[in-house]
Amino acid sequence: MKPTPKAIFLSLAILALAGCAAESSSRAAKPSCCVKAEAPAAFTDKSIYQTESTWMTDQRTQIKLGALAGRPQVVAMFFAHCQFACPIIVNDMKRIEAALPADVSGRIGFTLVSFDAKRDTPPALAEYRKTRDLPAKSWNLMCGRPDDVLELSALLGLSFKENADGQFAHSNVITILNAQGEIVHQQVGLNQDIHETVRLLQQLARN
Amino acid sequence: MKTWMRNSIMALMMLMGAVGQSFGQTPPAGMALIPDGVYRPLFRGESDPKEVIVKSFYLDILPVTNGGFLEFVRAIPRWRRSQVKRIFADESYLKSWAGDLDPGTNAPANVPVTEISWFAAKAYAQWKGERLPSVAEWEYAAAASPTRADGKDDTNFTRQVLAWYSTPAPAQLPAAGLGQANFWGVRDLHGLVWEWVADFNTALVTGDAGSDNGLDRRLFCGTGSQGATDVQNYPAFMRYGFRSSLKANYSVHNLGFRCAKDL
Repeated sequence: MKPTPKAIFLSLAILALAGCAAESSSRAAKPSCCVKAEAPAAFTDKSIYQTESTWMTDQRTQIKLGALAGRPQVVAMFFAHCQFACPIIVNDMKRIEAALPADVSGRIGFTLVSFDAKRDTPPALAEYRKTRDLPAKSWNLMCGRPDDVLELSALLGLSFKENADGQFAHSNVITILNAQGEIVHQQVGLNQDIHETVRLLQQLARN
Repeated sequence: MKTWMRNSIMALMMLMGAVGQSFGQTPPAGMALIPDGVYRPLFRGESDPKEVIVKSFYLDILPVTNGGFLEFVRAIPRWRRSQVKRIFADESYLKSWAGDLDPGTNAPANVPVTEISWFAAKAYAQWKGERLPSVAEWEYAAAASPTRADGKDDTNFTRQVLAWYSTPAPAQLPAAGLGQANFWGVRDLHGLVWEWVADFNTALVTGDAGSDNGLDRRLFCGTGSQGATDVQNYPAFMRYGFRSSLKANYSVHNLGFRCAKDL
């Protein structure tokens, strides 16, 4: 059966309703932050970049996590509707960025990945970037399919649970990945002392 | 909901399930049809429903065996013991096997495969065109006794389950399939090995009682206090605690899995 224009329109409408999962793009490119970073062909045994999962950035670019390779990353999982913990996590990450010396700050990436595959679509993430003032050259915002969100949270050792009211209960953890995508440090909790994290990032960036 | 109402709804759902089955929904080989039903979560937030609707699905009758897993690692070399990446499976991965493609005498073909990580279980399921069951699906299927869909009031059943949870796992696991089939025709959900589920890492203990043992409370975003619904269900507490202690690359001696599939 030849699909009628109406059927095509309907299926597109259904796709649009399905949140991040359905956002697709043939442009498989690196996020603007990582254009210079050349991802190595093979990652180390302990690299989370081994995963095959694909993600959508707020700029509607489809990427694999390996696109983040090449420089250390400060990673957290969050959701844009979060009223309590996530704004603090993002704020903690901004504190970390602000504390980096000038020669290091351009060499560290900051990545936020959403738990909320339904509501955190690329436009919603773009809006979040704007309201939170997250510079495109250092910050990546991305969303993915529920299955991939589950896998990434497992790779990072995080727990989360969607409550009936659409909120997510979740671990509050900021993870430091080295340039190869290996977990080298996890800062647990909110409003923590960032001294150790900042020291480690300098060390990673200067190596 | 009143008990009689719930029972009649359950009976209706089971009937519909049975009718669906007779209309050509024959389960794939080795799987059983689990009809629509409800799962009552052990812990839930204040705003969470008491009951989670579980849509009908297929579930493996038996846990995946060493023999079954051997086929998988033959087909997909990156899941062989010598090739697996540490991020996906810790050092204990398939450590009882004699070699990459040889389960050996310590891991007979008909015994459930254990010492496999969540990532490996998930990859196996994908390879089969299947998936891991969710906590809700697993618990709902496992609530059935040999004679009832809800085995909670079947004292013989609850006693047997409890007895297993209080017995340490034997060094040599018994073969899969020796356990009695439950109401849905599924075997060994209790009494043989613990099993991975897809969303094992959704167990968050955030209640305000002193039960947050070993869990750093700074870790969690407090979106509502959680309360236990059925304090009698000791084995469910154990499974809940066990799951929340796991990391996805853990490969443990008495932890296996089985697959599920959408209808």
